[in-house]
Amino acid sequence: MTVADPRPRIASGPGGSGVVAGVRCQACAEPVAYAWPACPACGGPIAPAEFGPGGVVWSATVVRIPVAGRTPPYALAYVDLDDGPRVLAHVPGGAAPAVGTRVRLRADAPGGDPQVEVAP
Amino acid sequence: MNPAVHGVGTSHFGRRPGTDLVSLAWDAVSDALADAGGGPVDAVWVGTVFAPAGVAQRVLRAMGITGIPVVTVENACASGTTAFAEACEAVRTGRYGRVLALGIEQMSAAFDGAITPERTDPEGATGLALPALYAMAATRYLHDGAVTREQLAAVAVKNHAHALHNPQAQYAGRYTVEEVLASRMIADPLTLLQCCPTSDGAAAAVVAASSGGVREVGVRGIALRSGAPWGRRSPHVWGHDVVRDTAADAYAAAGLHAATDVDVAEVHDAFTIGEIVTTEALGLAAPGEGGKAAGTGVTTLGGTHPVNPSGGLLSRGHPLGATGLAQVAEIVRQLRGDAGGRQVDGARIGLVETMGGGVSALDGNACVVAVLEAP
Repeated sequence: MTVADPRPRIASGPGGSGVVAGVRCQACAEPVAYAWPACPACGGPIAPAEFGPGGVVWSATVVRIPVAGRTPPYALAYVDLDDGPRVLAHVPGGAAPAVGTRVRLRADAPGGDPQVEVAP
Repeated sequence: MNPAVHGVGTSHFGRRPGTDLVSLAWDAVSDALADAGGGPVDAVWVGTVFAPAGVAQRVLRAMGITGIPVVTVENACASGTTAFAEACEAVRTGRYGRVLALGIEQMSAAFDGAITPERTDPEGATGLALPALYAMAATRYLHDGAVTREQLAAVAVKNHAHALHNPQAQYAGRYTVEEVLASRMIADPLTLLQCCPTSDGAAAAVVAASSGGVREVGVRGIALRSGAPWGRRSPHVWGHDVVRDTAADAYAAAGLHAATDVDVAEVHDAFTIGEIVTTEALGLAAPGEGGKAAGTGVTTLGGTHPVNPSGGLLSRGHPLGATGLAQVAEIVRQLRGDAGGRQVDGARIGLVETMGGGVSALDGNACVVAVLEAP
């Protein structure tokens, strides 16, 4: 059974980085990581917008239990993209980055997951 | 008409993969109907999340409850409390006279371990298992200095000890903070003993108009909300604002002046950090003080604001759709003075709170808060 991939679409950004191809509300300016038909905050009209590649770790964890299709342990972070939405991303290396760490979205992450690396 | 709970019933909670759903439901419904003095019901609301299609009619026909309106609702962990809220509203508006609310779930038949993340959801498809969602909140609280690891563990110590007095709890025990912290890491910083188990179970309540009976527990106010968009627009962790806002609705409906008027509360502690955030969002603890409340015994039986005397989701167990009605059953027993070794002395006002769901970008799929009053 095939299901549509619901994850944010990652487009190419500057210098080999990635950006999230989402939308921004034309009424309340809410940034949205997904190509939804209306603003989730106010129902207003949206227009395409790109966010990233830079952002800051809001929080992070390492998942150590078996999850279908995944190999534990793996690190996940909620990242507040600069002037953009909060997105869930994988962090390579198996360690959770500290809250507040500057990170950068990758363009070509394996498996199609949003992925960030600690900013150089 | 003012709704009141006339009867409650619960199955034993635990991993019961070989048990028929009919049998689970019967344990809860037969107890609830007997507790309510027997007799028919006019309609049934059933809360479940992962049960097979048709489960409501399948279990109800086996006990002779047929030919009446039966509605199944799914609201993640708040499915049972949603069924209860709808039953209360049906009685309040006069739509039906006597309504059964039933929650049922057999998690062991649906999953080998933790709940599989929903692959049609963006964050589910990205591998966000539910413990990880709560772990994100815990990490942030630790970073902000709003909790310590020991305070997180204290919630698990407390609720497992409370469950020693609950014969229907899935498991119980006297653990130390050190033992909780030394248990296997699930999603940093949450260890195994800080996570609810995989559970099967059922719970039920009979709701009808208040008639002043000595065993009727009044429903003073109840509210239901879905979460607002969650992200950087909120200064709070996931799951805080929806509880705060739903509680404000429920307190207003109940005419409750302050959360601190609540004598006993059953709240959503699927993970230790959940109870801490929730006690703050409900106003039972001041912002940033929820961890301290657990660590210093404020929320322990015998403390000034006992929380989860049943053992909570952490220890009573968390069969998703049944959880809300198990919470209602506990508060009803507390307010009747029937809670045995876990009784909160003189409890007059009780609170039930359930929230849940992992839909991306939302502050929870649903939250229900109910304020109940002793006979």
